[in-house]
Amino acid sequence: MTPVNERRPAGSRIWHAAVAAAVLVFLLLPLLVTFLFSISTEWEDTILPQGYTFDSYIRLFGDERFLYALGRSFLVASMTVAFSLLIMVPTVFVVALYVPRLEKWLQTVVLVPFALPGVVAAVGLIKLYSAPPFAISGTIWILIGAYFILVLPYVYQSTRNSLRAVNAAELMEAAEVLGASKTAAFIRVILPNIMPGVIVASLLSFSIVFGEFVLANMLVGGSFEVVQVYLYHMMGVDGRLSSATIVTFFALVLVLYAFVLKIGNRKPRAGTPSVQGKEETV
Amino acid sequence: MSFVRIQGVSKSYNHTRVLNNVSLSIEEGEFITLLGPSGCGKSTLLRAIAGLNPIDEGKIEVGGKDITHMPPKKRNVGMVFQSYALFPNMTVFDNIAFGLKMEGLRKDGIRPLVEEMLNLIDLKGKEDRYPSQLSGGQQQRVALARSLVKKPTVLLLDEPLSALDAKIRRTLRGEIRHIQRRLGMTTIFVTHDQEEALTVSDRIFVMKQGEIEQAGTPNEIYTSPASEYVARFIGNYNVWSRSQLQGRPIRGIPDQGNMFAVRPEAIRMAVSGAEDEANEITAEGTVSIVSVLGNVLRFEVDVTGLPVTVDMLSGQSIDHLRAGTAVRLSIPRGEWKSIQPSS
Amino acid sequence: MAGRSSSRHQVTLLLLLLPFFLWLFAFLLLPGILMLVSSFQNEGGQGFTLGQYVKGLTHPLYTGAIRNSVLLSLVSAFVGLVAAAFAAYSFTTFSPKTRDRMLSLSNMMTNFAGVPLAFGFIILFGTNGMLTLLFKQLGLSFLAFDLYSWKGLAWVYIYFQIPVGILLIYPSLFAIRQEWREAASLLGAGTVQFWLRIGVPVLLPGLVGTFSVLFANAMGAYATAYALVTSNFNLLPIKIGGLVSGDVFPRVELGSALAVILFVILAIALFINEKMLRLARRGLSHDSR
Repeated sequence: MTPVNERRPAGSRIWHAAVAAAVLVFLLLPLLVTFLFSISTEWEDTILPQGYTFDSYIRLFGDERFLYALGRSFLVASMTVAFSLLIMVPTVFVVALYVPRLEKWLQTVVLVPFALPGVVAAVGLIKLYSAPPFAISGTIWILIGAYFILVLPYVYQSTRNSLRAVNAAELMEAAEVLGASKTAAFIRVILPNIMPGVIVASLLSFSIVFGEFVLANMLVGGSFEVVQVYLYHMMGVDGRLSSATIVTFFALVLVLYAFVLKIGNRKPRAGTPSVQGKEETV
Repeated sequence: MSFVRIQGVSKSYNHTRVLNNVSLSIEEGEFITLLGPSGCGKSTLLRAIAGLNPIDEGKIEVGGKDITHMPPKKRNVGMVFQSYALFPNMTVFDNIAFGLKMEGLRKDGIRPLVEEMLNLIDLKGKEDRYPSQLSGGQQQRVALARSLVKKPTVLLLDEPLSALDAKIRRTLRGEIRHIQRRLGMTTIFVTHDQEEALTVSDRIFVMKQGEIEQAGTPNEIYTSPASEYVARFIGNYNVWSRSQLQGRPIRGIPDQGNMFAVRPEAIRMAVSGAEDEANEITAEGTVSIVSVLGNVLRFEVDVTGLPVTVDMLSGQSIDHLRAGTAVRLSIPRGEWKSIQPSS
Repeated sequence: MAGRSSSRHQVTLLLLLLPFFLWLFAFLLLPGILMLVSSFQNEGGQGFTLGQYVKGLTHPLYTGAIRNSVLLSLVSAFVGLVAAAFAAYSFTTFSPKTRDRMLSLSNMMTNFAGVPLAFGFIILFGTNGMLTLLFKQLGLSFLAFDLYSWKGLAWVYIYFQIPVGILLIYPSLFAIRQEWREAASLLGAGTVQFWLRIGVPVLLPGLVGTFSVLFANAMGAYATAYALVTSNFNLLPIKIGGLVSGDVFPRVELGSALAVILFVILAIALFINEKMLRLARRGLSHDSR
């Protein structure tokens, strides 16, 4: 599979390079012009900016409102990820190994968020949580509650795949026969081995929550302003600050993805070769 | 009194009985094998002894202690899995030390024990490697050391060799047997490979559909299979029913029994014309295929439509036996085994 | 004794699963039920009526919104899928390292959606946008378009569909083996014939599945259109958002009914995807045998 390239005729190689380049340029263009805009002094009716400055970034990081929004976004994303891992990793583990009859059901449930765009999800949440006894609308708690559901598919899939890849059921058995309790086996053997997958899921979830606008706007809006909502309000007021916000947001996404890539490329230490047709799984 | 006693163990899974009232006992230091095709219940029984599969009925005793309802961690049995199940996040050293750590042993107490094991499996100097940096054979030796370091009462081996290449498999099974003898470790070995079972075991239990079909030393099992099932499973036995033999040029068939088994190497073959002897069963046929299996030549002989397999040691003296040669087969009465037909 | 310890085991398992069940109940099930109940109530949240659904499915304002949303989603899903398929296939022809870089770059761009995307497109294609001006100066005004028109919105939607499409279609494209192409060419098939007779039929479940996810993706999209110009576009999600948290006076019941309608459309689209994935998996495992 490696030397695919050499086997292709030159014409076809040029075509594929052109297609890939065209699509990637198209995808990157809006981000690049946003960056250009953020460092421009004046850019009204010319094709390229008339001058360059980092002034907008200095202003942005001097803006208390932005810094607070950034802090809130970090807080809400970290707490969502923390709750999600704390609850989902044991849940997926327990279901996969000890309650397999729930597996099918769980697989379906975690897909529901895909059919549940922010607007739809917001309707029921607003109805339930804007009046007593659970009036948490407008607070961070309703956001964490909703975001937990939002990232469910990613956390589930990643954890489940990792458990399968390391053959968790057998590792547990091996550890138990060697005298470990189930809890000790889970903490000392399973957890370290599924960590890379879990970290990838956390980073993806973090970036998803950080970029979420609809629920943030509809459920809490200005009373707990996160970066995306700040950006929305800034858009009509100050274009330079908005573009600097977007670039900052994307710099963060870039860092998160770099980590994901690094973890994904790391040589997996999982050395158990897959044994085919494992007999008598009873 | 036996060291391991399994009494009337039964287990059903989704309404299918995978173990049906199995009883067996093993002496201390014995190496026994559970042999059978996949689905015969051998792994289930092994896992029941480890405590990984709870059983429905019966009793399991090891060293005079009833362990039937003990959780795996309290049983102090050693187990080696088919896929090794080494912990990928731990080095060779930490893998071997794991069981001792779980016992609550101190670091300075652990090191000499682990080093002793590393010597035993000949992997000294590789203690800082991760499992993925080892070959399959080395990984399985680590798995073996990991289960032996705690001085378990019984060692359970669940098809430990079947993921390995044929050559490494042969070397490693010799090593396992050697280590087992040296430590005097009571060992239960599960395999579907009859050759493996015959080479390493003190005793073999052939299993069929959740029951023990026959138990005995390798020699007993090989030379006197009790049933058609065992005869067919154990190798290249000629298996015939009485009705198949009737009407063919075969003389001297005993009156007793309906199903018979004869080892290919127990049949003597010569060019037609010799005299019959009193204590032999004899038949006339024609050689149809000759194949070379190393030091043995295998002949397919056609006895008016009934195929007979005959093995003879290679050598110049049998060069004249070729496809098409008319031959006379003779089988000593003692090698003509009457067996139980399988339904 | 076995019975007692195994029932204690059951209780432990249940306790471990409890937080998940509670969370699911509080933030998925209960809100969903409330939304469903509310969709069958009259304005003010009383009684039982099918009136909200009747209004949602007959009033021109809402049928228009549904039609617009479906149309926009179909178009953007189709164009996005074609572009994504071409791009993803081109990715597969590069060395593993380049290929993975390209893929993660494209995956990363799935994050460029919603408000940032709207902003980026305004700088590019707005009235004084960079490309609008460029096209004008080059005398290519016909290339420029009004960002605030349906055509403009369609471009924005296509943009955010492409990286999602690449992400989804890539695995099934990867299954097209170079060996197949070589075997086909030895048997005398050209590039076009290969794709027509082997490539596309093999990929079909994957393509249909990806199309339905992209369709759902566009149907539910709210932020981009909302940020672009708030109420210019009569789209289903925008209507729902307006009815539920509108500044003037919210009509939660009608909004709930429309939300249920949207949910049902999405559920059908994703159900098709599930079926297609299963089909594709079966097809692939069949090949390898």
